[in-house]
Amino acid sequence: MITFEHVSKRYSGGASALLDVSFHIDAGELVFLTGHSGAGKSTLLRLILMLEQASRGQVLVHGRNLSKTPSRLAPQVRRQIGMIFQDHKLLSDKTVFDNVSLPLMIAGMRYPDIRKRVRAVLDKVGLLSKEKSWPLMLSGGEQQRVGVARAIVGMPPVLLADEPTGNLDPQLSTELFALFRQLNRQGVTVMIASHDLPLIRSMGERVLVLSAGRLIDDIPAVIRRNVEA
Amino acid sequence: MSIDSNKRRLRAWARRQLYSLFSSLGTLLGHRLGTSMTALVLGIAMVLPLGLYMAVNNLRSLDLQQEEWGAITVFLHSRISETEALNLAQMIDDRPDASAETVSPEQGMDEFRRVSGFGQAIELFEENPLPWVLLVTPQLVENDELGPVIVRLAAWLEGQEAVDIVQVDHKWLQRLSGLLELGDAFVTVLSVMFSLAVVVVVANTIRLDVANRSEEIQVLSLVGAGESFIRQPFLYSGFWYGILGALLALIILSVSVLYLQQPLENLLDAYGNRFELQGLGSLEAAAVLLGGGVLGLVGAWVSVQRYLRQLRVGGIVGRR
Repeated sequence: MITFEHVSKRYSGGASALLDVSFHIDAGELVFLTGHSGAGKSTLLRLILMLEQASRGQVLVHGRNLSKTPSRLAPQVRRQIGMIFQDHKLLSDKTVFDNVSLPLMIAGMRYPDIRKRVRAVLDKVGLLSKEKSWPLMLSGGEQQRVGVARAIVGMPPVLLADEPTGNLDPQLSTELFALFRQLNRQGVTVMIASHDLPLIRSMGERVLVLSAGRLIDDIPAVIRRNVEA
Repeated sequence: MSIDSNKRRLRAWARRQLYSLFSSLGTLLGHRLGTSMTALVLGIAMVLPLGLYMAVNNLRSLDLQQEEWGAITVFLHSRISETEALNLAQMIDDRPDASAETVSPEQGMDEFRRVSGFGQAIELFEENPLPWVLLVTPQLVENDELGPVIVRLAAWLEGQEAVDIVQVDHKWLQRLSGLLELGDAFVTVLSVMFSLAVVVVVANTIRLDVANRSEEIQVLSLVGAGESFIRQPFLYSGFWYGILGALLALIILSVSVLYLQQPLENLLDAYGNRFELQGLGSLEAAAVLLGGGVLGLVGAWVSVQRYLRQLRVGGIVGRR
């Protein structure tokens, strides 16, 4: 589903954000991406979203080689990916319902269908009662769940999350990760960038470890399953 | 590509348009004060050329209403009898390029008495000294110019035996048509200038609007919106600004017409003319609304394209 082949990203200032990173994520996997801040997690996610172009190497998402995809097709790529941001990136002048419905509006879906889908997704993240609220009236955890609802409402095959628990207390973080796992079991490929090591460890899924732009470790999920067994 | 999938894409496109339409209306209504101030500026910019256009049109209709002003006055010899005068009038009427109206000596005397105030003195004449008079109005056929037609007619009339004096007075007509031409040119110049002003005002308003919503634009592009989806609401906003401005201009014009009507009538009454001030027709009003909308659209387009180009350089927005 997501493949990096010897990918390097060097910014115009000369600083290298990623150095010769290679990995492959199969469809239906759940993978954590970890490392200190500045290790290149965000850059890696930005490459997948076509917000950046790799300086060297190739990024393949859903069978499409992003290095050879013209930037005008970026929206098509992004519609295949649900993205969850640390700062939620909600529109404060739109209601929860309108925020979540954005990807469907962009897809030009019929309004009755949009309503059905949005309410189903809001129900799933436990915010159906808040559909008419404004984002700023919600708590941080609720805002994050709105962001999750928006990311999954279009039923994308890939879900990316950039430090989704950055502003959440442990209880909410655990709940959120449980939700990711649930989505993953329904067949969505999930990639979560996080430095919440205890939580990642408790999940026991595959972990990619970045350090100073290099992929220094790729811990498979099997270990945990063995331990649990 | 199958017909079915084309249909589906068309429907999706229409729904996106509808969404943009409502979203733009929502934004305008959300900022009522700003919207009305912009509309007012646009309205005032549009009133000036429109007002002049209306004034020129009214002058032209004045010209058309008062065709006999362009008449040639023909005084017949005093010995000419009624029959001969009527014959000549008939001959003129038979020409394709003229029509005639007769004024008998009695009618002439009546009018003179009424207008001059010398009623008493005129009673002293034993006999009516006035001749028959023909008022000849040139008729323009196809692309005839008034000047040559009058010259031709005057020459022919002077050749008639019964005719004593031919008085041609069309200088003022030429002046009027010259003035009208100048007015038309002014309208054109003003229209171009103020259209440009409308485009610039809308472009600037939309530029601010885009800057205020740059965060929203980034979020939209992050969740997969293409350039056209991002651009659309701003284009609609520009269109609405233009239409609102045009509507305001029309309202200002109508109020002005109401206000000017009475004084103008009074003035023209004093000159003995019946005259009704013409506003813009419904077709013209529709054209003004549409024109305003298109100008707004152009302004918005200019602004949004510039901004999107910056974003494209930044790699945030893709085109589809």
